[in-house]
Amino acid sequence: MEALLNTGSTIDEGRLAKGGNKYSDDYTKECAVCWMCAEDYTALGCPGKVSVTSRDGKHTVAVYPKVTEAMRSGQVFIPRSIWANVVVEPDTFSTGSPRYKGSPVTVEPTNEEVLSAEDIVLKLYMGGE
Amino acid sequence: MVFKNIICPVCGGSCDDVQVDLDTKNRTIDVQNACKMGNAKFQEVVSSHRILKPTIRENGKVKDVSWEEALEMSADILVNAKRPMFFLGSETSCEAQEVGLHIAEYLGAPADSNATICHGPTVMGIQESGMVGATAGQAKNRADMIVYWGVNALESMPRHMSKYGVFPRGYWTKRGRFDRTMVTADPRVTPTAVASDLHLQLNPSTDYELLSAMFTILNGKEPHPSVEEITGIPISVMKQTVEMMKEANFVAIYVGLGVSSSYGKHRNIEIALNFVKEMNNYTKCNIGALRGHCNVAGFNQLASYLYGYPFGLDFMKGYPRYNPGETTCVDLLREKDVDAAFIMSADLVNHIPADCAKYLADIPMICLDIAPCPSTTAADVVLPGVIDAMECDGTFYRLDNVPVYFEPFTDSPFPETKSNEDTLKQLFAKVKAKKEA
Ligand code: SF4
Repeated sequence: MEALLNTGSTIDEGRLAKGGNKYSDDYTKECAVCWMCAEDYTALGCPGKVSVTSRDGKHTVAVYPKVTEAMRSGQVFIPRSIWANVVVEPDTFSTGSPRYKGSPVTVEPTNEEVLSAEDIVLKLYMGGE
Repeated sequence: MVFKNIICPVCGGSCDDVQVDLDTKNRTIDVQNACKMGNAKFQEVVSSHRILKPTIRENGKVKDVSWEEALEMSADILVNAKRPMFFLGSETSCEAQEVGLHIAEYLGAPADSNATICHGPTVMGIQESGMVGATAGQAKNRADMIVYWGVNALESMPRHMSKYGVFPRGYWTKRGRFDRTMVTADPRVTPTAVASDLHLQLNPSTDYELLSAMFTILNGKEPHPSVEEITGIPISVMKQTVEMMKEANFVAIYVGLGVSSSYGKHRNIEIALNFVKEMNNYTKCNIGALRGHCNVAGFNQLASYLYGYPFGLDFMKGYPRYNPGETTCVDLLREKDVDAAFIMSADLVNHIPADCAKYLADIPMICLDIAPCPSTTAADVVLPGVIDAMECDGTFYRLDNVPVYFEPFTDSPFPETKSNEDTLKQLFAKVKAKKEA
């Protein structure tokens, strides 16, 4: 499914990040989550986990789906965090600010493991060091 | 012991009414008046995960070192790099940022701050159009209409609505919420949207189209009918919103990253600012950015005052240059244009796109922070941070660019340093000594 990715704060994301708990399970549960509407979730086959892939296909991240009435069809939301930023487009349109709102992504069901914030750094960014 | 009127160093709200009861014996802290986010950070003073020792990465292994060794290694990285990048984060004082800017100038390096990945495009929009602004107090006392555009205030600056925006009773808004109309423009049904009187649930990345249609209506013309399908908002609702604004005595508009980070970026802000200027022909109307990071406004003020540009500075040519898209941190990292990085009081690895984060993790990186986070994991040197407004004094700029001087209620836990400013001064001395040796 193709969708536009929106990212932003949630109160618990803020609480956990500012409280220095980015490596806690609670943080993963709060932020490694892709919000979508019931219609889109059903169209995906009601999966337990989804992978979100950037438009160029270079970056993918596995997250848990969350069904909510806050979203419209074709739009997904991931709380601002390392999971969301794996697939945010790095082009800044000459402003310095990447496309935190409205990056085109593909969402599909997956069996991949949902990584913790620390594992994303170690496995995706530091090459398994 | 109880301390009153402590400034919260978490978001741009800089709430100045926090009450803290610190029990140093049992290492507990009780915090009153702060929101969930603020409270969480105050707990860092006594938390068990606080970074208390400097570390370095050697052959892939992380080990504790003395402050002296960590500062030596940091200075070596910076002096030996051809083009080190300074990211002077916003969760610290202007005083610390100032020393960071001076080191960057001395080394001919680029220097940037959270503004670049936050309201940088807003600042660029202001450079294009100028801004009709007001302090938060003006809005509190006068505004009878509040518009949150592309911002979920309840979750990004949790006390904004209760302290400055919607609920407080002001001089001309004596009944608080009852004297105010609240409108939210957001593609998502956020808690802020739910609390509003009117929610403009526009399609993502159509802020420019919606604002220009409202601008057209304000000028007495009919917008093109296609704008309804593009934005998802009926023209009748746009007209109603413009009419509500014109009839209000004082309209306060707060923009968030929904405007400045969506497609259109600074142009979205530019048209919003022009709309506000035009609206002042009918009523008092002002606009401000809801700045999520604590002292992000401070860096803009400081860098503009010292060097003429608000963010994305580059001292490579021996004088400050500013060219967003070239001298800004995400672009520098994406283009692999720097070969070392100094990150202070910001978890940059967490907040930038994967290509940039991966490159940042590849190059030598020094990170000054208070708790373990993706940036400290990827760093080659970690310097423990002192928490501003709790353990040292200094200056923040609030969301409305009002400087706020803060005083601590406890001391730095490190005998080696009094504040991040002090740490940076020590680092600067070492950099100078090595460079001039
Ligand atoms: S609103 Fe912001 S400044 Fe105020 S208590 Fe919450 S985090 Fe702190």
